[in-house]
Amino acid sequence: MKRRDFFKTAAVMGAATLGSSAFGSEVKIQQPIDNRPISKFNFPEKRPMITHSDRPPLLESTRDVFTQAITPNDEFFVRWHMPEIPTYTDPEKFTISVNGLVQKEYVISLKDLKNDFEQVEVTAVLQCGGNSRSAFLPTTGGVLWGSGAMGCAKWKGVRLSDLLHRAGLKEGAQWIGFNGMETAAYYKTPGFVRELHLDELDDHVIVAYQMNGEDLPYLNGYPVRLILPGYYSDSWVKMLKNITVTSEYQHHFFMDEAYRVPDNATESEMPDHLAKKTKPITKMNIKSVIGFPEDNSTIAMNSQLVVRGVAFDSGIGIKDVLISLDGGKTWESSILDNEARGRYAYRAFRFSFKPKTLGKLEIMAKAVDKFGHEQPFAKNVLWNRGGYKYNGIDVVTVEVV
Amino acid sequence: MTKIILITLLALTPLFAQVKENIEVPYVAYPIKMGKGFDQVNGNCLMCHSFGYILNQGPQPRAFWKAKIHKMIDAFKAPISDEDAKIVEDYLATYYGNGK
Repeated sequence: MKRRDFFKTAAVMGAATLGSSAFGSEVKIQQPIDNRPISKFNFPEKRPMITHSDRPPLLESTRDVFTQAITPNDEFFVRWHMPEIPTYTDPEKFTISVNGLVQKEYVISLKDLKNDFEQVEVTAVLQCGGNSRSAFLPTTGGVLWGSGAMGCAKWKGVRLSDLLHRAGLKEGAQWIGFNGMETAAYYKTPGFVRELHLDELDDHVIVAYQMNGEDLPYLNGYPVRLILPGYYSDSWVKMLKNITVTSEYQHHFFMDEAYRVPDNATESEMPDHLAKKTKPITKMNIKSVIGFPEDNSTIAMNSQLVVRGVAFDSGIGIKDVLISLDGGKTWESSILDNEARGRYAYRAFRFSFKPKTLGKLEIMAKAVDKFGHEQPFAKNVLWNRGGYKYNGIDVVTVEVV
Repeated sequence: MTKIILITLLALTPLFAQVKENIEVPYVAYPIKMGKGFDQVNGNCLMCHSFGYILNQGPQPRAFWKAKIHKMIDAFKAPISDEDAKIVEDYLATYYGNGK
């Protein structure tokens, strides 16, 4: 290395260090922000929701939504990356293109999608990788969501594998790239493209046009989106327009830079000592959220209180949701609904009791999966610079009067 | 006759279609603070995202805001001049800073 180059490198490294120091060094994990007001505005096909942004639209569900095992379409969270979203799509003219390393490239209309293939349904949780990000201190990159960037719906569509089968994969096909119709304000801004390796795609992956028995709401990706049960929502491409098969991984910003966690056993790092290697966030970890009662609400002493909420994971299956009323010293099982919706859906839980003591009462919920994995206390959640994959034990504090 | 018209109308209306015309996403007037540098914030930031993106982050250190601006330039290729980047940083540190 030439001396001049050395200084150049040193200067760049100096800048990188400065960048990481933007985080400070003291890690503290708190409960995700839970007191944001809902907006006065109705977005298309939505009730008023917590509105972090109008362009691109970022809408969050409120806590009370999580008393239900199926999230209503008009209360389902919304997250777009780019400011330009088509405001009209003609369902008669809309097509999806399947191309790349295939025997026969084709485009398919919405009508043919509904007629030419076996129609399948899957109930699955859609959760932003940054859901609950506001728990992380120092503040990480990204939208500071509370715990409402998640929902569970019954999706209907066709299997991705059936679509690929019609095209016929050529030898050497390894990666499938997906992109939708949202576009950036600037030509040079990287597009929102996602890539999945063939190994990641099973028959549960579908291209869906229906959500809870209705057309997909516009803001949830009308007319068609990708459904990847068990995976964070970054790869559930909305307004899906193009599917390209390749042999080599194509580098894209939203694959290489965003939606990644440290590539180590605990997927964590320190703000003043960032991990060098990172990996995609991919599968969801175990989590539960209390839907009722609300934080800071008032409950009458000796009245029957039914705590309700939802729990889910990547598809291993929830075995138990435990409730603690003494700060996590002792735990009792709640009652879970049946598993009828399948392993990718919410399990709704309920726990009934009568508060016997006046004053503040902390209610905690902790999900446990069939392998025995369970949620950590919030204070034990480890930090990462993107604020991804938060799954701390949810705490609601009520006042017993 | 009425019946025929009604049937025709029903036939023309797709069963579930909710997006029959241009969707209008409401404009939300986020309560952004006015002050020195606002014009540069307005001109550079609003192209890609609303002021909600700024307010959502809460009060943050100057270094945090500086890193954000450079993420917009480096990762998202926002054409923000060095001069404007400094003005936007000063604005954010002044009005949405936490004193650090």
